[in-house]
Amino acid sequence: MTTQQPDIIVRNLTKIFQVYQKKSGLWGSIESLWHREHYPVTAVDHINFDIQRGEVIGFIGQNGAGKTTTLKMLSGLLYPTSGKVSVLGHNPWDRQPEFQKQFALVMGQKNQLWWDLPPMETFLLNKAIYEIPEAHFHKTLDQLVEMLDVGSVIRVQTRKLSLGQRMKCELIASLLHTPQVLFLDEPTIGLDVVMQKTVRDFIKQYNQEFGATIILTSHYMEDVQELCKRAIVIHQGKKMFDGALNQLIDQYARNKILSLTFDKTIPQKDLKKFGTLKSHDATAATLLVPRRQATKAASQLLQQYTISDVNIEEPPIEAIIREVFADQSNQAQK
Amino acid sequence: MSKYIQLFSLYWQNGLVYRTNLILWRFRQFLSALMALTVWSVVFTGQEQVFGYDTGGMIAYVFIASFLQSLVLATALHGLAQRVYSGEVSMLLTKPINFFGTLAIEDLADKSRNILFIFVEMGLLYLLFMPTIPLPGLQTWLIFGLLASMGAVLHFIISLLFGTLGFFSPETWGPKFLFFVIVDFTAGKLFPLDILPEVVQKILFLTPFPYFSFVQTQVFLEKYTQPELLNHILVLAGWLIGLSVLNSWLWKKGMREYTAAGH
Repeated sequence: MTTQQPDIIVRNLTKIFQVYQKKSGLWGSIESLWHREHYPVTAVDHINFDIQRGEVIGFIGQNGAGKTTTLKMLSGLLYPTSGKVSVLGHNPWDRQPEFQKQFALVMGQKNQLWWDLPPMETFLLNKAIYEIPEAHFHKTLDQLVEMLDVGSVIRVQTRKLSLGQRMKCELIASLLHTPQVLFLDEPTIGLDVVMQKTVRDFIKQYNQEFGATIILTSHYMEDVQELCKRAIVIHQGKKMFDGALNQLIDQYARNKILSLTFDKTIPQKDLKKFGTLKSHDATAATLLVPRRQATKAASQLLQQYTISDVNIEEPPIEAIIREVFADQSNQAQK
Repeated sequence: MSKYIQLFSLYWQNGLVYRTNLILWRFRQFLSALMALTVWSVVFTGQEQVFGYDTGGMIAYVFIASFLQSLVLATALHGLAQRVYSGEVSMLLTKPINFFGTLAIEDLADKSRNILFIFVEMGLLYLLFMPTIPLPGLQTWLIFGLLASMGAVLHFIISLLFGTLGFFSPETWGPKFLFFVIVDFTAGKLFPLDILPEVVQKILFLTPFPYFSFVQTQVFLEKYTQPELLNHILVLAGWLIGLSVLNSWLWKKGMREYTAAGH
């Protein structure tokens, strides 16, 4: 049996930036004319991971955690301070055209579309840059335009498009050469919920259709939940977790949520015996109960009260991630 | 090759989007040439010779110099350092296209757009001042063309060098402004450099500035002997090679420092 080499291999990847710190006040500004103090900031700190072909990875972290910096290093935009990276067998910062033709970087807040010209002009330029054969270009373009339903806008000046339409066209421009590896940095940022869902569905479809390897960063946990089986969590440049999304929930979610509807009003003090009372409104209540005790608590509640509806669920992933980061910050302070 | 043709076409299209900007920019260039020609016309009022030039010679000089300035010094890369510093060049750097090739096409598209206007403007100025410009022979035309092209490439490389500032500092405009001012006085835009004292000329010819238009103008007016011409070609080639090497080194170093700013 042959084992395929992972599409992405990252070993001890580290990036340290030298950041200028201005002293406050007018004198600080004057002093900065002849003396500026720089201090090192470790954006990515000895990160390791492998990503297999066709995987969709959710890259999770707070602002400034090092997610985008990692993606920029994987794309060959940033030189790492130390460590090794292989993407499709290439060293990204050699910037070989053979490598660049096989990946795409989509940054939600950076445009590649020509602002004053219709998106179609950028598509044609990318066709020439990526040396896409005529037939393949038209086939892929038609397919992507149909999937994202932008047939009516690709010949309208980019600056006249809505954010959602622009993002869809950005995705098309990035995918015309059908990249094997896709780095998506906040692709749904600023979009409304309907458009977020459209973009998510599209990414899922693209992954299934082309077997692409995808790393996705997003602040919207719905993106990660819907698209990724595996998550990598980084905090202050360090990898904290790498595994199945379910495993992350098992490992870090302390509580389950019990949503209850009673036949009559139950006093708050009675409910507090079972867990932390999150909300209480006439006959409805929501309790946070330690995971291991959730079933037992539900059973006791059912025995003691007349309950018309009960629901046990995992907390939203946002809440779990918040807990993870809060834990880490507390540990760091200790 | 087709990628560069496509790129050239897009830069042209893009440049034509903002018509008012384009027209006003050309009007500024026209005014600048008009002013220089007017000032020298006034200076020659009542005088046959000034600084060894007669009226016709000086007007011809300023006329050719203005043409060269528009051609050699016109560039689309004024904001390159800012584009580097702000991370705007990131998307381009991830694509399988030569970065400098792309910038060269951007510059070339800008120059070619300018050329169209230059001929109209020069026509107007010609009608206003009626300069007597001695047309040289084919060989001089060829050498003039060669030196003008080399001057344009020299200016392109210097624009790239200014671009590298963006890797190391956000303060990218100060040095560029200083460069503009120095060029105004040392490239022969406002007056021919041979009216300056000998010592100043010697110092100036140690810099690349006279090679932006002064030397080419003198070639056109056939003022150089063959050894002088060869000397200028060699010096200009030396600048091109030296600055290219420096540029290549600085960009390599800069790319290691590049922060790809922005989200």
